[in-house]
Parts: sequence; structure tokens; C-alpha cells
Amino acid sequence: MKVAVAGKGGSGKTTISATLARLLSRRGHPVMAVDGDPNPNLAVALGMSQDSRNRMVRVPRDVMEMKEEGGASRLVMTRPIEDVTAEYATPAPDGVNLMVMTGVDHAGAG
Amino acid sequence: MTITDMEASIEHMSRGTIRHVDAMIMVTEPYFRSLETVGRMAPLARELGIEHVWAVANKVRSERDEEIIRSYCAEHGVELGAVVPWDEAIQEADREGRALMDYDPEAPAVVAVEGIADLIQAKPETNGRGGQG
Repeated sequence: MKVAVAGKGGSGKTTISATLARLLSRRGHPVMAVDGDPNPNLAVALGMSQDSRNRMVRVPRDVMEMKEEGGASRLVMTRPIEDVTAEYATPAPDGVNLMVMTGVDHAGAG
Repeated sequence: MTITDMEASIEHMSRGTIRHVDAMIMVTEPYFRSLETVGRMAPLARELGIEHVWAVANKVRSERDEEIIRSYCAEHGVELGAVVPWDEAIQEADREGRALMDYDPEAPAVVAVEGIADLIQAKPETNGRGGQG
């Protein structure tokens, strides 16, 4: 099950994402938390120590690329997801793993 | 399972980053601009074929707050998945730079998020309409 948590900035989505990730992990599900916010703070909300936060490496942009497909563009992985997970996932409390995305290049957005 | 904390803007949705998810939780506060974001996201989510789309009310301080969100969701045909109350523990945890779960695992907000976990667990795996390559 892949779950996306969205909402206006300041709505509390990061606290809800982190709490949900830890609860589901406590219930026995393997949970990968993904921080897709350009201003990432899911690590703190998950309760990761300063030390492990410092050691985190963001997932580089080039693990995904935009492909044009019948007039629509979609994101595709350029490397197997298992490789990316093995390299960039960092353990967080309650057995959650966290990956922080660098973000996808937005055309014209710098 | 993956839980992705999305960026705040909704334009990423049309770029396909969200196409491979089974469920989308739209967190909203009980005021108009926040609800409007839900109003814009929900049709996009449906268009993208996301199987389960829920609004989650957050920072709800009163019955009036809850009512505002309930009626907005009803008008826009959005399922309200959970109501998370205003919880001082969130601010306190934040001040200390701690996780809410560590600060107070029995906080009312945590209890409400347990409800979201129940919703997710109750849904069969759809594996994001074709997977992620």
C-alpha cells in the first residue's frame, strides 16, 4: 500500500505522516517513510536523533526521470527501487525507514 | 508500505509523482483556504485513478470546526477519513524537537491517527495501478 499525504503548508501533514508511519510500523507493517517536501522535516517528526539526521543522504534527483508518454509526462525510476532503498534509507524509531527526496526538477522552476 | 509526505503545492499531482499511490490523505484545517485545497486536489486525485481518497480534518477545536469540514466534504463528495483534534501535545513536542509519538503516545491526536491506520489496514492492496517500475 502506497499512501501519499498532502495538504496546504502548515496543515499538519508532516506530524500526521510521521505518526501514521510509526503506528503502522508498530502494528507490524514494514514502513518506508518518504519525505517529498522541498523543505524536509519528516526526520524530526519521526523522532530521529540529530546524529542520524546528520548522516542522512538525500536521494538524488537522477533516480527518477520524466518520460513523455502519449502527450502526458510521468516519472520513472532509472534504477531498481531496491538499490535506491539500500543506499538511501535510514532507520528511524519503531523500525520505520526514511528516505528524503531531493525533489524532482520542475521545468522553469530553477 | 510507503507513507510519503508530499510537497505542499498541488501542481505536482499533474506531473505524475503521485500517480502510483493507492491512497491519498488530504490534511485540512477548518478554514476556507485549507478546505479549498482539498476541493482542488480531490478531483485531480480521482482523475489520476487513485483508489482511496480521504480528507483528514486536523486542528479541530470545536464541534463547529468539525461541522465546517463535514459539510464541505459532503458538498464536494469527499470522504472524511478521520477527525484529528487540536492537541497541545503537538506544539509541546515540536518545541522540544521530539516526535509526538515519543512525547505522548496516548495524546488525543495519536488516538485519531490510529483511526487513519485502521482505514489503511482495512483496504486491500491495489499496488498503485501498475507499480513503479
